[in-house]
Amino acid sequence: MQEKKGYVSFVLHAHLPFIHHPESDDYLEESWLYEAISETYLPLLINFQKLVAEGVNFRITMSMTPPLLSMLDNKLLQRKYIKYLKKLIELSKKEIKRTAGDERLNKLSHYYFDRYSNDLHLFQDVYKCNLIEAFKHFQDIGVLEIITCGATHGYFPILYVNEKTVKAQIAVGVQTYERYFGRKPRGIWLPECGYVPEADKYLKEFGIDYIITESHGILYANPTPVYGTFAPIVSPEGVIAFGRDIESSRQVWSSIDGYPGDFNYREFYRDIGYEADYDYIKPYIAHNGVRVHTGIKYYRITGKTEFKDYYNVQWAKDSAEKQAGHFLDSRTNQIHHLSQYMDTPPIVLCPYDAELYGHWWYEGPYWLYILFKKIYYDDCNFELITPSEYIDQYPNMQIASPCRSSWGANGYSEVWLNPSNDYVHRHLHVAGDRMCELANLYPKAKGLQKKALNQCARELLLAQSSDWLFIITNGTMVDYAKKRIKDHIGRFTKLYEQIKQNHIDEDFLKDISKKDCVFPDIDYKIYL
Amino acid sequence: MPRKTKEQAKLTTKEKGEKKKTTTTKKTEATKKKTSTAKKTTTKTATTKTTKKKNTNTRKKTTTKKAPKKQIEIVEYYDLPYRYNQTIVKVLAQTPTHLFIYWDISDEDRKNFEKQYGENFFHTTKPILMVYNDTMGYQFEVEINDFANSWYLHVPDSKCNYRIELGRRPITKNEKLNVDYVYISTSNEIESPNDKILFDHNQKMVYFRDVKTGAQTEKSLPKLSFIRNMGKIYNIYDFYQTIYQNENVGKIFDASNPTS
Repeated sequence: MQEKKGYVSFVLHAHLPFIHHPESDDYLEESWLYEAISETYLPLLINFQKLVAEGVNFRITMSMTPPLLSMLDNKLLQRKYIKYLKKLIELSKKEIKRTAGDERLNKLSHYYFDRYSNDLHLFQDVYKCNLIEAFKHFQDIGVLEIITCGATHGYFPILYVNEKTVKAQIAVGVQTYERYFGRKPRGIWLPECGYVPEADKYLKEFGIDYIITESHGILYANPTPVYGTFAPIVSPEGVIAFGRDIESSRQVWSSIDGYPGDFNYREFYRDIGYEADYDYIKPYIAHNGVRVHTGIKYYRITGKTEFKDYYNVQWAKDSAEKQAGHFLDSRTNQIHHLSQYMDTPPIVLCPYDAELYGHWWYEGPYWLYILFKKIYYDDCNFELITPSEYIDQYPNMQIASPCRSSWGANGYSEVWLNPSNDYVHRHLHVAGDRMCELANLYPKAKGLQKKALNQCARELLLAQSSDWLFIITNGTMVDYAKKRIKDHIGRFTKLYEQIKQNHIDEDFLKDISKKDCVFPDIDYKIYL
Repeated sequence: MPRKTKEQAKLTTKEKGEKKKTTTTKKTEATKKKTSTAKKTTTKTATTKTTKKKNTNTRKKTTTKKAPKKQIEIVEYYDLPYRYNQTIVKVLAQTPTHLFIYWDISDEDRKNFEKQYGENFFHTTKPILMVYNDTMGYQFEVEINDFANSWYLHVPDSKCNYRIELGRRPITKNEKLNVDYVYISTSNEIESPNDKILFDHNQKMVYFRDVKTGAQTEKSLPKLSFIRNMGKIYNIYDFYQTIYQNENVGKIFDASNPTS
């Protein structure tokens, strides 16, 4: 049995912007949640459960953002997810008939029918529609550490022009976590890993021990951390920062030679939503007749070719197992090297978007399952650990200020501040200032005024989601993102004026409170 | 709150001088149907004192018909205001060496400047941004134009405190405008991010804190085991080069990231 020389820590960041449209069934964007449940959240839960059942001791950390928690907790969205699944089951039934003449394809149709039927059974009968409780269970038994995030994933390096708005993002992030998990979070995933030292005092105020930063958040810290990203640092204000490991990130993420590009893996872009006969598929695509992903995908990546071969579930599993072995060997070598140079055992931190696992990289959850099993059973020189456990075991760390940084392209703020979206920031800053003005003007509000002030806080937070800025930069679904910014700034400003004129339109308030029903316990006085 | 009548709504719109626009993203049949059958609406959008042109195609969505309470449907149309009519300069760091600045001058301040320096003040002067690097103690000036309300600026030094001043330089002087420079407003101060490993060859000590007890300790750099093992003066490039023997370490440190 090899001596354990170091640690690997997986952190999955589970986040979706708050998308909730009780007023209409037309918003395609609501299906982001349903796809993520079926492709990422349920598969992760299934694999955690399998590991526990098989007696595999593992550790994983997940940030579950407040908007995601609010959506998972939302009864309407739960009903809509069930409806979504039922339609998919109906479609896969039809597919079984349609593909009867082709054995390989037919096998896949059966696979999807089974998979979505199982999703429905799990969601309704096993988890009773409560996925938060399902994740909480794994935290309670000690294999999963759940951390929080900024209230609506607002990007701190731009918001901090008004520090109170950063404070509110942190405060509501912590409150939402407590509401669902019954304890305080020890860690926070800074939205987009956006770090500014100005946030430290608020992180401390709300009891946060640690943050995750991009690699150069540590490497460019002041003074330079002697162990690079392989040990956490503590800021002068007392916030502990873990930096992303460069090598392991690249193995998974790289668009050229990253694991998800394996030729046996499922091809994301070939979906019957785009390929099936229009009249046949029409009931299962967008209401307005636009072709969209259905979730039924029959092809594997195959290679750099347009001629795709059918997906083969077993081949994909074989590739995942091979790659899990490669990852294990790479970390073993890495830790072997590192441990020679360090006084404390190195920690290799591997943070990823949770939705990469399953949604983008269909086989990702299975890869994790195999990897965790290998780490447990194979004779390797490291163990899995959560950042909290590492802090508790190795509390002595170098004092240094992390570098202002993010995990976006080029490492700073270009994704959320560029000529395509820079017009937004002026409005976000003014609304932030106005929210503070309102809190100061009416610190003792009651009744309708209090409701209106709380709704103002919700609208401001929703406008601040970094997602809208990212989507605008990315160039897909831009109209929706722009509309969301307009809607939330519009609703905020309208309420702001009504409150100041002491003329609150109750019907309007009721209507937007129903639409933007995030953070029921919010208290606008966080802006004081 | 009583509902506004069509006429009141029109008046409000005119008074506010605001741009009204239908929602642009959802051009589905459902939306069209909804807008044409809307019973009631709030007609005042949230904006204040915008100066943008009014959309000539403005459609009024208000009727005076009373609907039963339960069927109230709030139809909303928003657009972002063109400006907030405040004198403001804000600076943000886009990258370690690129700043983004936006600004505005309130109508009241504009009038005051015209009162003080002549009614053609904004024609006889040109706008500039004065960039102050407070860390290194230098400043420089960038000429901008009155068609812009924001600007991207390249600055030479990362990890420095910057502050931007909006001002105006006279194109021609006259009796009322007999100065070289007119100050308008100053921005917030920001620190641009760091973009390199901070070598400090004079650094002899490394400071540690036990986060459980708060106890602080120091170790001299050469005593740290990895430095002993490497047998040379501490240099993080060497450290990474040792770990990643087959990699181009320079590339690792370029802070570009494959995720986005």
